[in-house]
Amino acid sequence: MSINLYQTGVSGLLAAQQQLATTGHNIANVNTEGYNRQRAEQNSSPGLYNGSNFVGSGTFINDVVRIYDQFSYKEQLHNTSKLGQANASNSSLDQLNNIMSFSGQALNNSIEQFYQTVNGMVDNPSDLGLRSITLNQASILSADFQALNNNFDQLEKAVNGEISQIAGRITDISQQLATINGQILTNNDLSVKGQPNDLLDKRDQLITQLSEYTQVNTVTDKNGVMTVMIGNGSTLVAGTTALSVGVTSGDPDPLATKISLYGPSSTAQLKPESLGGALAGKFEFRDEHLKQARNEVNRLAMAISGKLNSIQAQGLDLNQQQGQDLFTDINSGLLQAARVLTPSSNTGTLTAQVEIVDISLIPTDEFEVTYDGSDYVMTNLNTGAIETLTLVSANTYSSTQGFNFITTGGTVATDDAFIVRPSENSAALMEMVLTDGKGLAASSAVHITPSANNVSAGTMAISQVYDPVNARADMDMSIEILESPPGTFTYTVTDNTGTTSAPQTYTPPSQMIDLPLTGTATFQVELKGMPSGLAPNAPEIFSFSDGFGVGNGTNALALASSQEEGILNGNSESFTQSLSKTTSIIGSKASSAELVANTAEALHTQAFNRNQSTSGVNLDEEAANLVKFQQAYQASSQIISIANTIFDTLLAAAR
Amino acid sequence: MRVSTSQFYHQNSLQLTNKQSDVNEQVEYLTTGKRILTAKDDAVNYSTLIGYKDELRGIEKYQRNITQAQNRNSLQDVVISNAEGFMNQMKQFLIQANNGTLSVTDRQSLAELAKDSVSQLLDIANTQDETGGYIFAGYQVDKKPFELQPDNSVLYKGDNGVREIQIAKNINVELNQSGDDVFQKVTNYQGDFSASYTTNTSGISLDKALITDRGAYDAVGSPPDYTFSFSSATDLTVTDSNNVTVFTTSSYVPGQTVAFNGIEVQVSGNPLPGDEFDLTPQAEISIFDTLKAALGWMNSPTIDGVQHAVDYKEILSQLDNSMNHLTSRRADAGVRLQLIESQDNSHADREINMAKAQSNLEDLDMAKAISNFEQSKVALQAAQQSFIQIKNLSLFNYL
Repeated sequence: MSINLYQTGVSGLLAAQQQLATTGHNIANVNTEGYNRQRAEQNSSPGLYNGSNFVGSGTFINDVVRIYDQFSYKEQLHNTSKLGQANASNSSLDQLNNIMSFSGQALNNSIEQFYQTVNGMVDNPSDLGLRSITLNQASILSADFQALNNNFDQLEKAVNGEISQIAGRITDISQQLATINGQILTNNDLSVKGQPNDLLDKRDQLITQLSEYTQVNTVTDKNGVMTVMIGNGSTLVAGTTALSVGVTSGDPDPLATKISLYGPSSTAQLKPESLGGALAGKFEFRDEHLKQARNEVNRLAMAISGKLNSIQAQGLDLNQQQGQDLFTDINSGLLQAARVLTPSSNTGTLTAQVEIVDISLIPTDEFEVTYDGSDYVMTNLNTGAIETLTLVSANTYSSTQGFNFITTGGTVATDDAFIVRPSENSAALMEMVLTDGKGLAASSAVHITPSANNVSAGTMAISQVYDPVNARADMDMSIEILESPPGTFTYTVTDNTGTTSAPQTYTPPSQMIDLPLTGTATFQVELKGMPSGLAPNAPEIFSFSDGFGVGNGTNALALASSQEEGILNGNSESFTQSLSKTTSIIGSKASSAELVANTAEALHTQAFNRNQSTSGVNLDEEAANLVKFQQAYQASSQIISIANTIFDTLLAAAR
Repeated sequence: MRVSTSQFYHQNSLQLTNKQSDVNEQVEYLTTGKRILTAKDDAVNYSTLIGYKDELRGIEKYQRNITQAQNRNSLQDVVISNAEGFMNQMKQFLIQANNGTLSVTDRQSLAELAKDSVSQLLDIANTQDETGGYIFAGYQVDKKPFELQPDNSVLYKGDNGVREIQIAKNINVELNQSGDDVFQKVTNYQGDFSASYTTNTSGISLDKALITDRGAYDAVGSPPDYTFSFSSATDLTVTDSNNVTVFTTSSYVPGQTVAFNGIEVQVSGNPLPGDEFDLTPQAEISIFDTLKAALGWMNSPTIDGVQHAVDYKEILSQLDNSMNHLTSRRADAGVRLQLIESQDNSHADREINMAKAQSNLEDLDMAKAISNFEQSKVALQAAQQSFIQIKNLSLFNYL
């Protein structure tokens, strides 16, 4: 009987000890990341049959379990992925927003300053000082484009670095998980009660970390071994086998790095959009937002270069020569070739390039040109629109998007594909190439003087100058227009040798006329309205004369007015409008990303709280438990002491 | 709900971080005084805001252009009005020289004085701007536009180029008038033709010779010059340069309109038999040609005779016409200055509106911002204080 009492006391003592140890463990791990509180499950020992009664024989610790709710844990995991993605998007977009807002402003300012100096040149075209200031501003403008492009490059590099770091981290985690799986497998003899709680915690903690980077799904088998799948179900850890994740350079764009899963015998490329977590956020940012912003800025650089160069070419510089390019030619060989990326998977050897034809039509989208055996078919990778390119001249295929696809050599194989980025590298390669201020073509080549005797509402204006130097050589010319009989308009052109052409038909309301009529046209005029004249003796007369003069600022005025002209997006947006539109689009993306991140944060906090309310350690609770178990320990000691006293009493009685 | 200790600290630190970042954000707004720092702060209005800013900078640019345009047009105004002064002097010399009591020498010394006026006028025509460009040379600003020739005539070496500058969206204003327009293209007061008198015994003079019907005027079939011959006071024959008669009458009435080939001619005076003159096309007469004629007339050794009087009348009339022409050129500059000023005013109005709109969008409502700041500050303090209070609430303190 008293021996039982001893045992009962000792069992209480031992149980209290284990409980105190567990409580101590909980307290010690109060700040351990991913720790789930543990509890020593106490059971009473079965009673012993004594006489007609079952007498209790004490207690024992059945199991030390961790308080763990797998549903709230999975919810937390899911929300961690969402938060990882939202945070990745938010931080990158915030950075891009800052770059666009501040560098964009700087760019806006330098566009403004450039045009200010151009306006100065309009007022005083012969001033060499003003001209060299204009060139300075032009070089600042191109430098600003390059700087902005550098910012994009840095951002892209940083994102690629982060992606590769994350890949490395995932590989680490994968190996650790496999190791833990192995340990659990050896520890976990199913016949033995109890779980290696702290190993499980450690594994869950790793999974939580992993979920920040990518979406994770886990399956645990009966032996406690966990299979970990990332993204849309690609296995990362199978039992004790760890796969690794690595980064490969993109094809055809090496900077568009891809992420792949490497197994012992196989390699599988992971689809970025299905990955979830921070990885998806980073990929989305790089492949959508950053690319979009970069394309917009590239297109702007191209439009400014192209527009100003083309106006330059229409005028004469101070040396009476045709205006040379102010910025790098948008159709330079280097730029044309850079616009086409050839994937290594092509079986043919065809090389191609892209020539810009109409800036106003150029979109910021990316295209894929595929050879289907007979035609080149172009797919817009952003909108999915498909068109078949038409052969317009040898090796040149025109599109409706303002550019031509030109094959430059090699042979094409069916299904060969080419990625076309119409404005690629425009900002990076934009440079001011005019070195002498005298080279700014402020002067127009041809001056039109309507005769003072013109009576009707007909106008004539220069619409384009193909070759200003030879246009001057073609001076003086005149055009006489007459309506006879009513409704029929004819015009004759008298050239610089005094030869008058045969009558040509003019169809109102307007008509473009290339001049001179014979030989190579050097300029084009637009005849508008109803120039009826009076009679054969008194037609409407427009005289053309050599317009060159150091004080002629007509072409500079054309340069100056390009600032407000709608040029981009089908002649609807001016340069600065296009830039501010791009900036505000990025801004709105950034602000919605912030909103999403805030929501994700709130959801994550809720899930975290729910999980913590089950599994977290509360020190007050542990303190109470300490007291409780201490008292149990003390009481159990008393049982032993009493058992001892009883035994002593018994001995004394027998003595 | 059960709250774990780490959750408690986690929550508290999260709260503190959030409150701190709130305060930080408010401070940023307050110190810049702007509500929109980057596109993200108000993506919806950012484009509009940049639009306002662009517009304002555009106005600034136009205002600079306006200053230039004003300077240049006022300079023309001043210079042309000086020219008018010299023309006036010239006219006085001419009228003075017409005094019958003056001897040939007297008139010639007057002519010397007049010549000074002419050369001063020439200087005016060759006025340069602050950068050394000739303001009346059209596009050829680097070339002296008016050169005096040994025979007192003046050659124009500029062109008829007119520079324009933008003073508002789609509004360009001219910066210069070409010397051609100002000094050369003075309309002939007689119309489209001038007369050169071969024989003029009666003192007839050409009043008007105007192409009234350009459709009918055939300069190829019946080419000028046209010779008017009076075989008697009533018999007039007009022949073209091919000696083909284009008009003939035997009942000429003095002052009647002679119409042929789309041209209408009026001659004043009563013709005598044998009077003959040629009509040469001349729609425009340079001021300097008129002045040269005036000098020639003053220097002329013959002071009597009907032709001398006819010449005087023609020169004086053309001189008047030239002065009117200069006045109209000056008015032209004046009209432009008016246009410029009205644009300037409209820019100023627009600037105020735009600046206000920009400020409404971009500038911080200080009262609101300060109260927001105070609010965030209080929230942060409250979070800090409650943390301090609650952190002491541990059971361990009582063990």
